[in-house]
Parts: sequence; C-alpha cells; structure tokens
Amino acid sequence: MHHQSLAELDDAVLAGRSSDGDVRAFEVLIRRHTPLLRAYARRTLGSTDELDDVVQETFITAWDRLDSLEDLARVKSWLMRILSRKCLDRIRARRIHDDVTELEVAAPADDAPDRVAEARSREDAVERALAELPEAQRRCWIMKEVLEYRYDEIAAELDLPPSTVRGLLSRARKNMIRLMEGWR
Amino acid sequence: MTDHDGIRPDLPDSPEALDALEPGDLDGHSIDELADYLDAGMQPADPSIDDSPACQNALAAIIRVRHASLRSLEAAARDEAPADESWISGVLANISIESRSGRDVPLRPLSETERPVMTEGAIRSLIRRTGDEVPGVLVARCHLDGDVTELASPIRVVVEIAIASGPSIPATAELVRTAVAGAVAEQTDLLVEAVDVVVRDLLPDPEPGTDPEGAR
Repeated sequence: MHHQSLAELDDAVLAGRSSDGDVRAFEVLIRRHTPLLRAYARRTLGSTDELDDVVQETFITAWDRLDSLEDLARVKSWLMRILSRKCLDRIRARRIHDDVTELEVAAPADDAPDRVAEARSREDAVERALAELPEAQRRCWIMKEVLEYRYDEIAAELDLPPSTVRGLLSRARKNMIRLMEGWR
Repeated sequence: MTDHDGIRPDLPDSPEALDALEPGDLDGHSIDELADYLDAGMQPADPSIDDSPACQNALAAIIRVRHASLRSLEAAARDEAPADESWISGVLANISIESRSGRDVPLRPLSETERPVMTEGAIRSLIRRTGDEVPGVLVARCHLDGDVTELASPIRVVVEIAIASGPSIPATAELVRTAVAGAVAEQTDLLVEAVDVVVRDLLPDPEPGTDPEGAR
C-alpha cells in the first residue's frame, strides 16, 4: 500500500490542501489542534460548556478564511488568534463593561507567591501565577507572550489605548517574574 | 512540597536577585525596554544592556517566564481529551464547501442554451486525487493560472507536491505531470498550456508502530 496517510503531513501541506477545498485535510488539522485550542479557551473562559462551541466557531471561521493565511506553516498560531478573538467576544457578551482602570492597578494577593511556590511543576506554577494576575493583565500577557501579538494589535483587539496596554503588560511582566522567581 | 531537607529542589540560590525590577536596579533600563529589546531580536545591539549583569539577569527572567507560559499551555493541551468524533463530524457538517469552491469554469456546451460549468474547487479536487494516486506522492496545493472563466483561454496548472524519499524525484514528478494532464484533458474543457509540478516537500518516512499524529 503506497498511500501516505494525511495524518503524517505537516501543518503547511494540510493547510494548503484545506485551502484548496480538501475537507479530509482540514479534519486532520481539527484533530491535531483541538486539544490546544480547548486548553486556551478553558484558560480564557474557564471550564464552561461554551468550549465546544467556541472551538467549533474557530474552525468554521478558519475554513472560510484560509485564503488569508499567508504563511501556511503558521496555521497553529493563526487558529489561536481566531480563537482568542472569539473568546473575547464571549467575554464582552458576558459583561457589558470592564473597569479597566480599576483592574490595571490591582495586584496579586499577598499569599500568591506561596501558592505558586507550592506548584507541582513549572507548568503548573505558570498556571497558578496567571490565575493570580488581575484579569486584564492576564489577558494582555497571554496575547503578548502566547499569541505573539504586537502592542498595537492587543490595543485594537481589546479596544484600549496602546498606553493602557503597555501599562498592563508592564505590571503583568513584573508580577509574572516575581511570582515565578522560585521556578528558575 | 518540600523534600526531607526542607528545601525544594527548584528553589533559586538567591531568591532576592530579581526583587528589583525598576530602572534604578537595571542600570537605567525598565523591564519593558528589556522585553522590547528581546522582541527586536536584541538588534541593534545596545552595550548598556548587553554589558549589564543586572539587565542580563532580567532578560533571562523574561525568557524563562515567556517559555514557561507557552509550555504550560502545551501541557494543558496534553491534559485535554482528544477531540470527540461526533463533535468533529458536527464541525465538518457546518463548514461551507462553497466557500472554497473558487471560480466557475465553463465547459463546452452541447446546445446553444446550455451554460455548463464546473467549479474550480472540483477541478482542484480532481487534480489532488489524480496526484495522490501516484505512488509516494501527496499533493500539497494546486492552482490554475490564467482566466479559467473564459472557455478555451490558455491556462497553466501548477501542482505542488510532497514526495516520499526513495524513487527518482524527476521520474515521479513526470508521472504526476502526465497523470494530471490526462485527467484534466479528459474531464474538463480547459486549454492546458502546461502542467508545472513543483516538489516542495519530502514526506516523512512512515514508521510502523508510531502514532502518526506525533509526526509534524
């Protein structure tokens, strides 16, 4: 049997075939990246029954917009960005307005470093440290460090002035470094 | 979570080393300037950062938390269950084939009143299937260069393929070229000037017993 399995192909080839209309190739991408997308959605939205829907919407949007994906090898981070936008829409729908200025000055609780220090692994420690960050800081941090957004892109997505985003990231950075200090 | 010595193995030697993250502690640089410097690939080189032990220390800390953030998401992904099969079917049922069907390509009408067309997507699918049937080949992409919406307007077919190591690459590419040219001539009315085959990738060697999803 000479036929190669699509599941062995890299993301770029699968994205190319998907863009050409190959549903089976797209199915492999769905199978491959759903756990990461679910993990991201869970981190952003919490463990809600919205996770399935928001990841499904992400893939449907991705399929429709495959033509706009310039670097096919970056399909994973592109999917994450689409998902991040969907998650933000859900958060916006849940709460009419965030008081960003209030969130901006919030700081982790005094006992946060202890909770992070007690983590069972570095990965778990990051999870705990992120959970200790005020929400707006966490959101900016993840967009910057996990999704690799630029400052102006975060500002546009969150509908915030770039200066506010810089301020939030500055606090997030210092908080994360301090909270993770025990895990170098 | 302490071992019998009361010391956690991962605890740093000097926990106070990074308590100081203000410009006064970082030879005049803010932690944000350092993060931006890192983002810029540390270019152009700034000796006041490169030669400052405090800044180097802080840069290392930024890199550590950055990597840990990515890895923690990947670790969380490993804890997620694989995608549910019925959920996957649901997603596939909701995607629109039309959004990937491309231009309408006219076929030669059999009568005056007919305007038969084939979608570009259907032709790409034909090319993909034909290419995939050549041993050791998977089609990566294909496109039709030229005005396919005009009957008998000359076009080029470009087929990008991934190919298994082993058989002669030129010979395999030639098999793809011939097969695709034949299939397109047989099933469409396109006036094909040329079929260009681009070998853009090597297929991974299939290893028996390994999880194919692990090969990226």
